[in-house]
Amino acid sequence: MAIDFIDVVQAIIDGLLFGSTYALIGLGFTLIFGAMHKLNLAYAASAIAGAYVGLAVILMSGLPIVLTFVLGPVAGGFIGFGVYITCFRYMPATNMLAPLMASIGALFFIDEIIIHATAGSPLAFPAVMDDVFLEVGEYGFRGDLIFVLVTSLIAMLVLLYVLFGTRLGLATRAVSQQVVAAELCGIASHRTNATTFAITGVLGGLAGCMAAAAVGVISPLLTVPITVKGLIVTVIGGLGSIPGAIVAGFAVGGFENLFLLLFGVNQRDIYVFLLLFVFLVFRPNGLFGKAINRD
Amino acid sequence: MLELDDLCKHFDGIRAVDGLSLKIERGEVFGLIGPNGSGKSTTVNLICGVFPATRGTVTLAGRNLGGLPPHRRLNAGISRTFQNIRLFGELTVWQNLWIARRDAPSEETGFMKNWFGSSARIREAIDETLEFAGLAGRANDLAQNLAFGEQRRLELARAVSARPQLILLDEPAAGMNREEVEDLKQRILTLKNSGITVLLVEHVMELVMGVTDRIAVLNFGKRIALGTPGEIQGNDAVREAYLGSPDVDIAEGSRHA
Amino acid sequence: MAYYFGLLQTIGIHTLLGLSAYILLLTGQLSLAQVGFFAIGAYVSGILTVIFEYHIVPGLFAGALAGGFFAFLVGFPALRIKGLMLVVATIAFSEIVRLFFFNLNWRVMVNGVEVGPDSTQGFREIRFYAANGWDTLDVVLFIWLFVILIMAMLWWLDRVRAGATLRAVGADELAAQSSGVNIVAVKVAAMTFGGVIAGLAGGLYAHSATYVDHLTFSVLLATFAVAYPILGGLSSVFGTLIAVIFIQGVLIEGMRFLGDWRNIFFGLLIIVAMNFRPAGLLDGNVVAQILRIVGRGKGSDGERHA
Repeated sequence: MAIDFIDVVQAIIDGLLFGSTYALIGLGFTLIFGAMHKLNLAYAASAIAGAYVGLAVILMSGLPIVLTFVLGPVAGGFIGFGVYITCFRYMPATNMLAPLMASIGALFFIDEIIIHATAGSPLAFPAVMDDVFLEVGEYGFRGDLIFVLVTSLIAMLVLLYVLFGTRLGLATRAVSQQVVAAELCGIASHRTNATTFAITGVLGGLAGCMAAAAVGVISPLLTVPITVKGLIVTVIGGLGSIPGAIVAGFAVGGFENLFLLLFGVNQRDIYVFLLLFVFLVFRPNGLFGKAINRD
Repeated sequence: MLELDDLCKHFDGIRAVDGLSLKIERGEVFGLIGPNGSGKSTTVNLICGVFPATRGTVTLAGRNLGGLPPHRRLNAGISRTFQNIRLFGELTVWQNLWIARRDAPSEETGFMKNWFGSSARIREAIDETLEFAGLAGRANDLAQNLAFGEQRRLELARAVSARPQLILLDEPAAGMNREEVEDLKQRILTLKNSGITVLLVEHVMELVMGVTDRIAVLNFGKRIALGTPGEIQGNDAVREAYLGSPDVDIAEGSRHA
Repeated sequence: MAYYFGLLQTIGIHTLLGLSAYILLLTGQLSLAQVGFFAIGAYVSGILTVIFEYHIVPGLFAGALAGGFFAFLVGFPALRIKGLMLVVATIAFSEIVRLFFFNLNWRVMVNGVEVGPDSTQGFREIRFYAANGWDTLDVVLFIWLFVILIMAMLWWLDRVRAGATLRAVGADELAAQSSGVNIVAVKVAAMTFGGVIAGLAGGLYAHSATYVDHLTFSVLLATFAVAYPILGGLSSVFGTLIAVIFIQGVLIEGMRFLGDWRNIFFGLLIIVAMNFRPAGLLDGNVVAQILRIVGRGKGSDGERHA
């Protein structure tokens, strides 16, 4: 089958739109890494769990479906806080392995709770604006993906404001750079870290809702692939780099869909991983990562 | 012995070391002093190969060390201690020395014996080094369980264990009391007597003035003075750099600087 | 009885897998690539015994070598990066290996039967044990022979300079370098040795299970491989063994009556264990105490360089 140029461009467009969810997940990983220099592997699982909780509340209460996209992030925030308390709060600061392992435990735990609660079967997730289809010349923009993109962009703008326009953001950055000095300035590092986790949780809950809305179903099977894609985005963007995570999120989304078109579903991810290796070899610090610090 | 020629290191436009040239003679104790941020630690790191120099060369006994990683420079004969103590905390004192141990050329052993052989062969030599550092009774304790002063001595012992020609001491007296400084002074003199060249980077002036043969003073990555301890103490430029005023006695005034 | 023999096989294989991650953790590297080497060992040895009709011993040997070879290749680029970057890179490696076998189709007629890896259908005909009349007890003993061999090697390694050097690199890379340790060589050596152990474990797994497919070699198994040594503690090789026995024996098999609550329990247990014992079950102090009770004088340190 010959692949037209139009197909290629269309695939990239769809991928870029979906990539906004990867950008949100990558942002979460990168923010937590930036704040604590630790990796929270339960992050994508809490994102999906947030979306589940949002959906469950709506289904049980009969509230308007759109509210899922509000309740999901809220639930995600609480789950993120819970992960912080259970996996990070009481760990020795110098031990990298223990919190990482604990967050893997949290990933299993959250996944299994979902499987237990839903008997393992995927649920249909409401899409918004899926009856809209925007045509520009020969190319089309799916309405539900436009919704995902716009919502994600708004979330990113809000996040950037919180980080760079408020005292809370300043505290977060202070703690990430120098815990002791920040505490001497009256910043409670644990509370600041907890807030970072809650904020990233909200972001994750939103990303979970967006991913589920774009796919149309939500399933615990989504967690591991989203975790892996989120990590790839984080590394390509540069650990701890906020613009890096955003750019890399869109890029990975676009490339992924292009590889899907070119190589089929079975081999798509091989090429995504190879893309990661290209970065690790030629730009080991990522797109926007800082070079190795002195001494 | 050790020769630095036009050595430069720039970090993002900051010239941490800026065209430094030095010649350290075999067997001398050479002091390197200067205010905080004057490039002393960067110089040590350049000599050890922790990061590459922007420009310039490091030559040890006629051999250009450019491009060699730290472990090759240790084999070439340079060992060091760290300003902030960096021991292998979960290994024993004895093991800390065992890792750094270099055999004398005449005792060169094979790969298998070196890495997988029994420790009995080199035990005596290591015990001797422990004795020198005053750690003889603590061979089997974990390094992390040692007191601060003992950890400092263990760092020194580990550097000595490598049988270097040149040993770099990066602020070895930081945080020590008078008595410990006196001990350290004796140890440095012992090293000197056994033919090891010492480069001492230090803020504690009573140690620097009491033990060195010659001193170089750095400021803003450049050498501003070079001479015997007596000459340096009388140098106005040095006082100015240290204290912003030429009227203060360095040996007393900068003790707490 | 057959049930317990099956469990013993699982424990043995998982112990090897855990030890392959253990040796890398000693140098401070968290690798999720072990499952990739495990998969390579499984497929290589399976292909040799099934398609080329080798005996299992050379088959396992080749599987282990293949695991080590790929670990060596991965080692150089992967060890330029550190910590969390390495975690992500090694996940990617394992996933590439998994997807490679997911797409691998190599069906061959052997003695009138079509055998070999059949992409999505998996590799179903690895029947060396049954075809050669080994009963389950034979298989258990065969597997544990390797487990004991590898554990003895690692135990001994901790008593020679090479082992101390591994731990020195894990403790402080710069200090190790400044003490004359070539950290790249040490890390690549640890990676290669870990790859050999994982490849060996994979070969044993393939022949015990008689059937492998890409789903076996998931990120989940990769996290198990590192979970064993982390939960067990890095101070002794026995920590890994104890963690495997506890997780595979007690938690997964012993609590079947809990149904799917058991899996929820598992995640919770990891969280609790890490909060209360962040350095693992057998940390340095526990090992020292045990040795003191056993009567080794000054404890672990006393006999470490004996």
